Amino acid sequence: MRVGVEVGGTFTDLVAIEDGQVRIAKVPSVPSAPDEGALAALKAADLPMDRVDDLVHGSTVAINAILERKGAPIAFLVTRGFRDLLLLQRHNRRQIYDLFYGKPAPVVGRRDTFEIDERIGPDGAVIRPLDTKHLTETLTSPLAKGGYEAVAICLLNGYANPAHERAVAAWVADHFPALSITCSCDVTREFREYERASTTTIAAYVQPVTDAYISRFADSLEKIGFTGRFSIMQSNGGHLPAAAISGNAVSSLFSGPAAGVNGAIRQAALAGFKELITLDMGGTSTDVCVVTGGRADLSSETEVDGLPIRTPALDIVTVGAGGGSIVWIDDGDMLRVGPRSAGADPGPACYARGGTEPAITDTHIVRGSIRPEAFLGGAMSIDSAAAHAALKPHADALGMALEEFADSAIRVADANIVRAIQLVSTERGRDPRDYVLTPYGGAGPLHAVRVAEELGIGTVVVPPNAGVLSAFGLLAADFAQYDTLTRKVLVDDKAPSVVRDVFADMAAGAREAFAEFEIDAEPRFAPTLEMRYVGQAFEIQVALHHDSLDTLTAEELAARFAEAHIQLFGFGGADFGPCEIVSFRIGALAPPSDLPALREEDSLDHGADARIYDNGDWRDCILIGRTGIRDAGSVSGPALVEDATSTAYVPPDWRATIDSHDNLIIRKGDATP
Amino acid sequence: MTRANSKRVDPADQAVISQGLIAAAREMGAKLIRSAYSPIVREASDCAAALLDRHGNVVAQAELIPMQLGSIGATFKPCAELFPPETLEEGDFYINNDPFHGGQHLPDIFLFSPIFLDGTLIGFSATVAHHLDLGGGAPGLNPHATDVHQEGLIIPPSKYNHKRDWSGGPLERLIRANIRVPDQTIGDFNAQFAANFIGMERVRALCTKFGIETFEAAMAELLDYSERRMRHAIAEAPDGVYTGEDALDDDGIGDQPLPVRATVTIEGDSIAVDFSGTCDQVTMNLNCPFASTIATALSVVKSVLTSPDIPFNEGSLRPVTITAPYGSILNPKPPAPVRARLTASYRAYNAVMKALAQAAPENVIATGFDTTESVCLSHLGPNGYRISLEIFGGGYGGGPERDGCDAVDSPMSNCGNVPIEAMDLEYDFFRVVAYSLRPDSGGQGRSRGGMGLCRHYEILKDGVTFATYSDRFRLAPDGLFGGAPGRCAETHLKRGDETLELPSKGSFALQKGDVLMIQTGGGGGYGDPAERAPERVAHDMKQAFISPDIARKVYGTATAAE
Repeated sequence: MRVGVEVGGTFTDLVAIEDGQVRIAKVPSVPSAPDEGALAALKAADLPMDRVDDLVHGSTVAINAILERKGAPIAFLVTRGFRDLLLLQRHNRRQIYDLFYGKPAPVVGRRDTFEIDERIGPDGAVIRPLDTKHLTETLTSPLAKGGYEAVAICLLNGYANPAHERAVAAWVADHFPALSITCSCDVTREFREYERASTTTIAAYVQPVTDAYISRFADSLEKIGFTGRFSIMQSNGGHLPAAAISGNAVSSLFSGPAAGVNGAIRQAALAGFKELITLDMGGTSTDVCVVTGGRADLSSETEVDGLPIRTPALDIVTVGAGGGSIVWIDDGDMLRVGPRSAGADPGPACYARGGTEPAITDTHIVRGSIRPEAFLGGAMSIDSAAAHAALKPHADALGMALEEFADSAIRVADANIVRAIQLVSTERGRDPRDYVLTPYGGAGPLHAVRVAEELGIGTVVVPPNAGVLSAFGLLAADFAQYDTLTRKVLVDDKAPSVVRDVFADMAAGAREAFAEFEIDAEPRFAPTLEMRYVGQAFEIQVALHHDSLDTLTAEELAARFAEAHIQLFGFGGADFGPCEIVSFRIGALAPPSDLPALREEDSLDHGADARIYDNGDWRDCILIGRTGIRDAGSVSGPALVEDATSTAYVPPDWRATIDSHDNLIIRKGDATP
Repeated sequence: MTRANSKRVDPADQAVISQGLIAAAREMGAKLIRSAYSPIVREASDCAAALLDRHGNVVAQAELIPMQLGSIGATFKPCAELFPPETLEEGDFYINNDPFHGGQHLPDIFLFSPIFLDGTLIGFSATVAHHLDLGGGAPGLNPHATDVHQEGLIIPPSKYNHKRDWSGGPLERLIRANIRVPDQTIGDFNAQFAANFIGMERVRALCTKFGIETFEAAMAELLDYSERRMRHAIAEAPDGVYTGEDALDDDGIGDQPLPVRATVTIEGDSIAVDFSGTCDQVTMNLNCPFASTIATALSVVKSVLTSPDIPFNEGSLRPVTITAPYGSILNPKPPAPVRARLTASYRAYNAVMKALAQAAPENVIATGFDTTESVCLSHLGPNGYRISLEIFGGGYGGGPERDGCDAVDSPMSNCGNVPIEAMDLEYDFFRVVAYSLRPDSGGQGRSRGGMGLCRHYEILKDGVTFATYSDRFRLAPDGLFGGAPGRCAETHLKRGDETLELPSKGSFALQKGDVLMIQTGGGGGYGDPAERAPERVAHDMKQAFISPDIARKVYGTATAAE
């Protein structure tokens, strides 16, 4: 049996699969102790723990440690002259007209930052040797008395030559063996010292907290009889055995969103789709991600709470549009949705927990696309009158009928989601019409088809149990290990052999790592180059095929880069001068042995038909579940397809079918199913 | 769908079009930065992008640099007067950097590309970037220029065609021949053109989707919307006539302060800013072209009185009137040199802020360092010129609740620093050996002024030129409502055993082994230091933002929190 347990902000979800049988559980999260929520989910699912072979876990422990500034007390070691790197940051402001602007607070203070006398040059040459006597004088007393649990080391140009970082680390390990040590060269080997220092300090900051959490949870699992493999989800969409995370907690920061994308990839692949735009709409926000050829985009530039992090993570864009997003009219009479959210508490007005401001969920109640009696499979009681009352003053202010106002607000929310999708598609030189839209999360399937229509997308694939897809994404994830190396190589005749050699070394390293983690599967490799024109500062990704590295030529490299540059920026080619490789990244990926599938049984009573206000009119609407559609062959919109964890809306001119994997496939009217 | 008024765009369509325009401008700005070649654009982001309607009204902007945002319309106008938009063809563009015809200073080159849909003009996409060097009397920055001609190549409002005149064509060749680092500069031009083309594509897509009529109505409504919100915000401030004054240290030759005076009149939902009483223009490069003065006054009004989420466009300018006497330092006559225009601009900023402090004391901050300190290091080696151009701010003034922001670019600008590791890769004639906060530089108060910064450069070759302009070396930024002033900036040069003090403006020959030490100023404090919360004093001491000496003298705190 394989089990995925995903701890989210509000709910903890569990999916277990054994011999094609799917079990799910959803319990409230325990924010102060995520493992309690996870154990409660295991209990609720009533699993035979001794039969669980693989348990994959994703949690918000690391990210919460940063957001709440509750990581480990750390000391930070920098090159002499640069103590204030983390406070100076990049000297710019994010809000240019904000007089009261403050920079994001780093995770380590000035008082806990110490300067090391040394300097390495950009080519790796030693300009000023490491002064170990000075090191001893500077560090001995503060490290002994400071109460630190961890040390972060980031020296200038350490990406080009890690010798000094290694030497400092060795000194600390010798003299203070209890301290956990993080070197920048082990976390990210890219130039730009502030971003690298930020990543390194965050990695050191979350490591002890994550280690403690993992070992506590592993102990609890053992106590309830679990003897299988315990793995942790990573931001890059893969997972690794818990032991591997003990040196690399920062790689698990964005595991939740990555798990969802992964679930969508797996489930859509069963229906034969590999070009996807995923749409995860929850209570406060919507995450979108582009998947090309079954692989999600990776980005090495993310941030938490304004602090930059440079480790590969799925390239997910978030907008403040969720079921709880507040609908309001600003002082210029414009209709706005979000970014403020009613959250889970008090929640939308219809939750009747004291919320009076209308939220997107309220607008669905008013226009009929959420039936109060069917919300979350009927598990939650909804006050329809409260939703109407909350919307009324705003509708009156714009001189609109209540349902017309509700419909407009939903279109504004859709427009926000469309913007997010354009950010990862159109703005990256991709045509969204080449993709199918894969919605999940509680509210995703309600909005997806209208969003697809705006973008010209003709097919929407709603996975079964769309509300717990992230937990499924965990157990369906590849084992994944990524490695990045900054090394500047001019693209000329010698470049292809350098590329082959570097990737061969990196692949060998990944095989060793897999062996060390006792993963017996043979990995496949995904090599990517980061390239730019000589003179530029930002690199773009050029994906290569591992199998065709042997025949790679300089011309091909230049041409692949030019193509990517033109796609992104609209210009490129030989006229713009020589190009260079700046860094190498390789992913080693091994899928789980028997690829599981998510299913869904329809056990709901769908009751009578309903009416929905859509595009200027009230329309009679079919209420149906997956079984009903399967029995009927297909259903034409307008229809509401109700599941235990979410509801999908099929507008007029669209038609829905169910495939053999329980995916709900919704296509634009004239398209053949 | 039924509508109360046939001209009114459906609220959802309006939201989609408005967002689409703002997003397109932002995308243009982001791509310009990411595909640029020179560190000043790609690392420091000294550039901006905007979309204009077919009449030249700025509809949406990428919020990057306030100075380059307030007056793009004023830069466009002289181009359109000379070369009417109806005569433009596909591929044409306007170009302008002329400070006396709507431009700012010469390095800021504005490019406007007309957007056509099926042969009909529907708007313009525009970008501006600060170019590293445009010729003139010295690499990157000529602090000794006594007229604009010595500052570089003037490109008056003109019309060219990308296909005909660029990419090896006559305009590109003319520019290339007149500048010192052509590969980087032409690379940045190409990034500007590419960003304009992206803006064109996005606007065309929006317009195709909604039709020209709805699209134009939505653009007009977006302007009206910003105007409504600006007026709404201005009306909240009490009517009255308010005055404020500040001064530049000197003109770079003498030592006499140069006063800048502002009279702000708030009447109902309109506001007027007049700079009568401001000193005359000067011989050196501190003069601020009127387009820059407009951008400055608007920025203060927007920052102090309005919500940050009002889209900044031509509509937000309508309730604001700005005047400055012709021939003054804020509206100079040609051929005044203008390269360091931000120096006078910031004193205008401070004077307007001080006036508004009387109208809206809870919305303002104390005077900050509010100076662009420009540091230009250049070297002529066997492979031609290498130029490093950086700009630094210092501490913001303290506010009613928060301490001023530390070591950040000044309010009219928003340049990032160039990473030390990027400098190391790029330049072999100097090395940055220290970069830090400057403790004790923030003015004390209930809220402390932000700290300035220090940056030290070790010079690695002979024949290096250091050119600079700055201010607040003599006149400290004032505190507000009882707060203390921030500390002045200082520049020192360590040569052997000697340490020399350098003035705020000028150019200096450096030699191998010299260490150039920059220290920018702090911001003024807000409110009486006696009211500062003891835990904030303790925190400042613990992090060594203030010395025990200051803690004792100003706050009466006896011991450092260990």
